[in-house]
Amino acid sequence: MTVSSATVSPSSPYAILSVRQLMWRRFRRNRLAVGGVWILLGLYLVSAFAGFVAPYGVRTTHDQFALAPPHGLHFRDADGRFTLRPFVYGLESSVDRSTFRKIFTRVPEETYSVRFLGRGVEYKLWGLIETNRHLFTVEDPGVIFLLGTDRQGRDLFSRILYGSQVSLTVGLLGVLLALVLGTVIGIVAGYFGGLLDSVIQRVIEVLLSFPQIPLWLALATLVPPTWSSIRVYFGLSLVLSIVNWGGLARQVRGMVYALREEDFIRAARYTNCSLARIVLRHLLPNTLSHVLVVATLAIPQMILGETALSFLGLGIRPPMTSWGLLLSEAQHVRVVLQQTWLLIPSAFVILTIICFNFMGDGLRDAADPFSQ
Amino acid sequence: MGAYILRRLLTLVPTVFLITVLGFIIMELPPGDYVDRYILQQQAQGNTGIADQEAMLRVRFGLDKPAAVRFTHWLGAFARGDFGDSLAQNRPVRTIIGERLLLTFVVSFCAFLLSWGIGIPLGIYSATHQYSKGDNFLTVTAFLGLGLPDFLIALIFLVLAWRVSGDVLTGLFSSEFTTASWSWAKFQDLLRHLWIPVLAVILTGTAWVMRVMRGNLLDVLNSNYIQAARARGVPERVVVWKHGVRNALHPLVSALGQTLVWLVNGFTITSIVLDLPTIQTVYLNATLSQDIFLGGTILILIGLLVVIGTFLADILLAWLDPRIRFS
Repeated sequence: MTVSSATVSPSSPYAILSVRQLMWRRFRRNRLAVGGVWILLGLYLVSAFAGFVAPYGVRTTHDQFALAPPHGLHFRDADGRFTLRPFVYGLESSVDRSTFRKIFTRVPEETYSVRFLGRGVEYKLWGLIETNRHLFTVEDPGVIFLLGTDRQGRDLFSRILYGSQVSLTVGLLGVLLALVLGTVIGIVAGYFGGLLDSVIQRVIEVLLSFPQIPLWLALATLVPPTWSSIRVYFGLSLVLSIVNWGGLARQVRGMVYALREEDFIRAARYTNCSLARIVLRHLLPNTLSHVLVVATLAIPQMILGETALSFLGLGIRPPMTSWGLLLSEAQHVRVVLQQTWLLIPSAFVILTIICFNFMGDGLRDAADPFSQ
Repeated sequence: MGAYILRRLLTLVPTVFLITVLGFIIMELPPGDYVDRYILQQQAQGNTGIADQEAMLRVRFGLDKPAAVRFTHWLGAFARGDFGDSLAQNRPVRTIIGERLLLTFVVSFCAFLLSWGIGIPLGIYSATHQYSKGDNFLTVTAFLGLGLPDFLIALIFLVLAWRVSGDVLTGLFSSEFTTASWSWAKFQDLLRHLWIPVLAVILTGTAWVMRVMRGNLLDVLNSNYIQAARARGVPERVVVWKHGVRNALHPLVSALGQTLVWLVNGFTITSIVLDLPTIQTVYLNATLSQDIFLGGTILILIGLLVVIGTFLADILLAWLDPRIRFS
C-alpha cells in the first residue's frame, strides 16, 4: 500500500524526512540485512589483507604434510593449564601398514606457540608493499593448518583467503559490466521505442529463456586456453555479465518507458533539454535505486556462476585461485569421502551468498520506503 | 481464447528463430574447429600424415562451406528432426539424446512434482502464520536453500549417505543393475540412488516456490475482498483456501517456464558431480570437445523446451484468468 500525500499527518516521519533518510531508516530496521552488510564488510576487509592474515603464501607447499586434516589451536596444555597464547601440537605423518594410506598423528610432546605479527613468507600487499609480517605464524619447525592442507600440502586457510580476492570481486566486476550494458540498452529501448525496442525485447526474451548455466558453460569454453590467469579473470566476468544483462535491461526499459510520458520529462523536452541532460539528470536518477537493487541481487548469482565454472575446470585457472577452483579438488567423490575438509571453501561461498541475499532483500524494501 | 493463442503463437516465431541462431553462433564461436582438434589428437597418437588430409576432412564433416550456408542446411535438417551426427562419437545426435531423454525426464519430473508439492503447502503455512516461529524458521531455511549451490548439497548428501550406509551412491544404478533389464529390484535400486540428486535440486526449487507462494498469498489476504468475506462471517478456512489460495496460485502458473529453467540449471552441475546419465552430462562433454552438432542441439532443445513451457503456462493462465485473455 502506498502512502499518498493527503493521508500523511505533519508529524509522521513521511512528512519530516527526506526520501533518502526514509530509505536509510527502512534499511536499518531490517536486522538481517544490516548483519549481512557487516559480515560482508568483514569478508572484504580480510580479503583485502589476505597476504597479511594468511600464515602462508598462496603457493607455499609443505611436501610432507599433503592432505593433512585441520589441526586446531589449543589453549590448554597437557597438564590442563590455561595459556593465553595459543599453541599447536607437532604433526607426524606415517603410513598405515594395512591400508597404505598416509595418516597424521599428533605429537603431544612437541608444542609450538603461536606468534602474533611474526615474520614469515614474503608477500606483496596490494602488489606494492613488500613485507613478511603476518597476523599470526607459528614457531619453527611447527606448522599451523587451521583448515588442513590440499593434495600438494598447501595450507587451505591461506588459499581460501587468497581465493576470496577472486571470488568476491569477479561477481562485482560482472555486475558492474551487466549494469552498464543493461542500463544503456534499457534506456535506448525504453526511450526511443519503435522497431529497435521490439528487436531488443526479443533478444532479451531469448537470453532470459535460456537457462544460465548451460549458456555460461558454452561461453566459458570460448576463453582461449593460452590466456594468462589475469586475462581469464576478466574474460570470466565478461562471460558472467553477457548472460545477465538481459534482466536488468528489461527492468530499466520498463521504467524508462513509463517515465517517458511523465510531465517532468515532457517539460524537459519542451524546454529544449539535450538528450544527454534528459538521460543523465532525469531518467538515470529515477531508475537508479531500483537498478541497484536488481544488481545487488544479481551478485550472488554471479558468485555462484564463477564457483560452478571454476569447479568444472572452465573458470579461473592456476596459479590464480578461487573458491570454486579450491572446491574442484573435492570433485571426486572418493576425495570428498576421505578428505571432508576440502569442502570447507563451500562454507565461505554459502556465507557470502546468504549475506548478499539478505542485503539485497533489505535494499529492495528500502528502495520503496513508502510501502507498508 | 483462440485469438489469444494465435497472437501468442505469432510472437513465438521470432523467439524460436533467434534461439536457433544463438545456439548455432555459440557453437561456432570457439577459435578453431573440430578438424583442428581432430588433427592434433591424431598427431599426438603418432599419425603424422593426417595434416595433409585437412581439406578432405573438412569436406567430410561439411565444415568447408561458409557459416550461413551451413546454418540453413542445418536448420532445415533440424526442423525435420535430423540433428546431424556427433563429430566426436560418430553417431547420430538423435540416438545419443534419445538414450538419455527418458531418465532426464524422470529425474526432472520427480523434482518438479516434489518441489511444487512441498513448496506450495509450506508457502501457505508461512503466509497464514506470518512472523510466527514456524514462518521465521522457513524463511531462514529458504534463504539457505536459495544460497546453497546444488552441486554442494549433492556432495554433502553423498557424504552423509556414505556415513550412514557405507555405500557411494553416485549414478542412478548400482553397477550390477546398470545393464540389467527392468525389474522390481532395479526399480528399488533406482529409488535408492534417485533421492540424492532430486533432493539436492529441489531444495532450491522448493525454497523459491515457497517464497513466491508466501508473497502472493500475503498480498491476496491483505486485499479488501478478503476483509469483506471475513466481515460476512465466512469461516477462516474457506477464506484462506477458496478466496485466498486460488487467487494466489496465478503468478505461480505464469512461473512454470521459470521452473523449467532452474530444473535445467540445477541438474546441469549436479549431474556432472553425481555422474548421472542425463542429457546435461552429455552437454558438458560436448561443449568441452567442441562437438558442435551435439552441444548446439542440446542447447537449442533446452531453449525451446523453456519457451514452449512458458507458452503453455501463458495459455493456462489465460484460461484461469479471463482478464489476461481480453487485455
